[in-house]
Amino acid sequence: MIRLQRSMIAGLEGPAPAVESVWTALQSAIELEHATIPVYLYALYSLNPASNQEIAGIIQSVVVEEMLHMTLASNVLNALGGSPQIDQPGFIPTYPGALPGGVQGELEVNLAPFSTTQLAAFLQIEEPEDPLNFPSALAETDTITIGEFYTAISDAIAALGDGAFVDPPRNQVGPDLMYESIVVVNVATAQQAISTIVEQGEGTTTSPEAVVGIGYAHYYRYMQIQKGHLLVKVPGADPPYAYTGAPVPFDSGGVYAVPTNPSLSPYPPGSVQAFANDNFNYTYTSLLIALHELFNGAATDDQMNRAIGLMMSLKGQAKGMMSGIPDPSVITGPSFEYQPVNPKA
Amino acid sequence: MSYLNALRLHFAGQFQANVSSVNNDPDHFNNATFRPNYQKMQGPGGVPPNGWFNPQGDAAFRLRGCKVTAAWMPSGPVSAPDKVISYIIADSDEQAPAKLVDLDSEQQLTSEIWGLQVRIADQEGNTVMCSDFEAAAFMDIWGRSTGGGGDVNAGAMYQSVLTNVTWGDVSDSPFLTALQQASADGLLSIKFNVDGLSMDFQSPDFMCGRIAGTIGPAAPDEPQQLLIGRQFMADCPVTGGFPFPNGQINFFAGVVDGEGGNIYLDLGNALPTATTGGAMVDLGDLTLNVYDPLTTPANPAGTLTPLGTIPASEYIDADWYSETAGVVALPLNAAQLQAIASAQLVLTGNPGVTISEWSSGAFVRADCFVYRLSPGDQPQISVYATQWGRRLPGVDISFEADPSQLQAQADLPVAIPPEALGLKTGAIATTDNNGCAVLTLSPTDPGTPRYFGNGADYGIDGQVYGIRPSFVGTQYNGGPVNQWNFISVLLWSAFTPSNPVTWADLQPTFQQYANLYPVMNRFLNLGDYNSVVANAGLLMLAFGLNPGDPNVMPVTRDLSLAKRNAILAWLQKPLPAPTGWQPVTPARKAAAFAPTAAAAVPLRKGGKTAALARRLILQKK
Repeated sequence: MIRLQRSMIAGLEGPAPAVESVWTALQSAIELEHATIPVYLYALYSLNPASNQEIAGIIQSVVVEEMLHMTLASNVLNALGGSPQIDQPGFIPTYPGALPGGVQGELEVNLAPFSTTQLAAFLQIEEPEDPLNFPSALAETDTITIGEFYTAISDAIAALGDGAFVDPPRNQVGPDLMYESIVVVNVATAQQAISTIVEQGEGTTTSPEAVVGIGYAHYYRYMQIQKGHLLVKVPGADPPYAYTGAPVPFDSGGVYAVPTNPSLSPYPPGSVQAFANDNFNYTYTSLLIALHELFNGAATDDQMNRAIGLMMSLKGQAKGMMSGIPDPSVITGPSFEYQPVNPKA
Repeated sequence: MSYLNALRLHFAGQFQANVSSVNNDPDHFNNATFRPNYQKMQGPGGVPPNGWFNPQGDAAFRLRGCKVTAAWMPSGPVSAPDKVISYIIADSDEQAPAKLVDLDSEQQLTSEIWGLQVRIADQEGNTVMCSDFEAAAFMDIWGRSTGGGGDVNAGAMYQSVLTNVTWGDVSDSPFLTALQQASADGLLSIKFNVDGLSMDFQSPDFMCGRIAGTIGPAAPDEPQQLLIGRQFMADCPVTGGFPFPNGQINFFAGVVDGEGGNIYLDLGNALPTATTGGAMVDLGDLTLNVYDPLTTPANPAGTLTPLGTIPASEYIDADWYSETAGVVALPLNAAQLQAIASAQLVLTGNPGVTISEWSSGAFVRADCFVYRLSPGDQPQISVYATQWGRRLPGVDISFEADPSQLQAQADLPVAIPPEALGLKTGAIATTDNNGCAVLTLSPTDPGTPRYFGNGADYGIDGQVYGIRPSFVGTQYNGGPVNQWNFISVLLWSAFTPSNPVTWADLQPTFQQYANLYPVMNRFLNLGDYNSVVANAGLLMLAFGLNPGDPNVMPVTRDLSLAKRNAILAWLQKPLPAPTGWQPVTPARKAAAFAPTAAAAVPLRKGGKTAALARRLILQKK
């Protein structure tokens, strides 16, 4: 479980939080939900699908939900009159580094090819908060859990009340555009959106299964990789779940030899690797711009299709460059950097 | 009004055209004989040819590092503090990369750019102008570089319009303010030249080349891909490779600006280079002359009167091309303007270096010259006739079937059945007051003339045709014909699937795309029922997009509307695959393949080079 700085919930506590404080926290939430996506995608696309298809499928399923969480947090922010800020350099974390709001020195997140070490980091990111292990005294410290972060936002929204919500619904990306999305119009729908984020990430307090969505919470999905088997229900057993399903094999030979944290040793300007990386980063930046527009008033089919088109382009580019296309002797890992001109200025 | 105007900017930089090469070989469309190695990179020296030079290409067309190199207003060159000269020309920062697309495996010499956004932006990428490039194909391809060999030597040009033009804050650029005012109809005109393609897969410039172009205003009543101007016509011997003119200067156009006292010549795709993507060859000082055909015994060749000169020292300079994109303005006084109003222009240089207008000054060409048609369509194809750079009304234009430049593979004939094209024998259309004549076609089902195994095995959909427009009145002819000046048509086969549509109806089509575009393996196996069903949502999205969208499937835009509709209907609710169905194992019928080194030579040199060598005009010789 990772811990966040208590400053992430500054201004949320107390009976009358300022709406601006909630905006700030929700912007942090959007950045936090986004921050894991490059990390998961880097691992995902480093896998040779011919030998690591099951693992790839698991990571892919988590990424899709992280995108939903970004959307849900944006919907809540928009519903409260705020505006998600996505198309700017600071939106992307630096790798290696802490997650947005994370406690320095606790978990350094790397852009790295898939490995058991990287899997351990994924598990740490997604580990649920266990109240038995974390007594309330901890809340008095300088750090909070992701669960506490979202609970603080949820409580502050309740304190703001339905009157804080823009009527009619504002800049909402609804389920017509994104599966399982929620149109946020009041405290109830905002809290529903937030609990979806938390439960898909952590599960409920009583079950590894999220209330909304297919399958298990992220932690348990990743744990299937570590255990080497799918998690299945075992009726009558205590607990009624076990990692005894179909095998989830890891072929360590089926991972492309991409560098870890490519931005630490930038590809030489003019090199084959810089060429591919620049194309990728320009497309990635284009995606952030497209999403910024999607979340700031252009919630249309066309805009969503443009964003999906950019995601597919990124997928194709990443899989190509990481698998040594066109030259098998040159492997390139995308550095996920903000780059609004091509090539990099 | 067009890009070739007193108000214009020039830009230069790099383009990427990451085309896939598997579909360059028409035989690769044969699902029954397709082999896995056809998806692999060719071997050293093209042996074995495998999937040719870039089997994993994703068709992306990008602008990279393109900078505004100069801007001009009627008052002269633009300089600081006008911001435009520090700006860049970029492609989209809010949608996927554009795509470069051949019309057909047997017509690869009209590659079109689809889904391109063109922006003017500051150096940080902030957009000041955003627009959509209207899909267009290259014209006037030639062997521009005199060194090396194959596609890397080729040069060509694109002209089109920019639509949906939107402007940001241009208040710090008088030039852009003027351009915005001049484009009140929401249109701009763009033309760019491409050359110097690298085909070295280990180079950072792989599938990239040099681009230099010009942007100016456009008027809605102008053709979009063609200048109303003075047309200089190159005399090119027909060879098995890229044409190269006897007079060393390729086709180009000029526009007379009577008011400004100038003639603008666009030499951007007209001057050869010594190396691929290098500086211009020294052809001597280039002099524009007006020709008086009056001959006397003392003057048997008529008279060339010089109008102005482009010094060799100017155009061979390494920066000249990027700073001008090849556009030259020569001042003309009133007497000169009068002299050229109805007289032939000739550009000359060193001995043997020459190019001129037709003696009639006439010219006719289709505006858009690439069409994809379904049986039952009624396309209206506009051609424009001009004389001495002015629109030519009231003349008859004939349209004749001309497949000579199509690139037929043995056993895959083009242009048959001829009647399916719906081009009447002796078809004639007359130009209107705008010099525009309209050809209407009534295509019918061509059947499946390009199926393999004598029609038994799935093959290339539909058929390709060529149509050449010409003047009926022989008085308008008077010079060399541009071999590329014809209309290319891909006419799709009729297609009636089962009702409801079944996997069996679609599997050959999906399998062919899976074979021809290995890049799709990064997303799914299009030949596998389960994989297609698992990705039905994304496929419905991609197959349902407008052809102008950069993400439409198939990227090649060679799927008939009938098949597209069948695919969409099936994806909506996929019926189960037939019991016992298995993904096709490729090459179940393939014979052993042992290409000779000689056969591999054109492959090694590129797709266009190989296609040129297959042209019907050569096969008939």
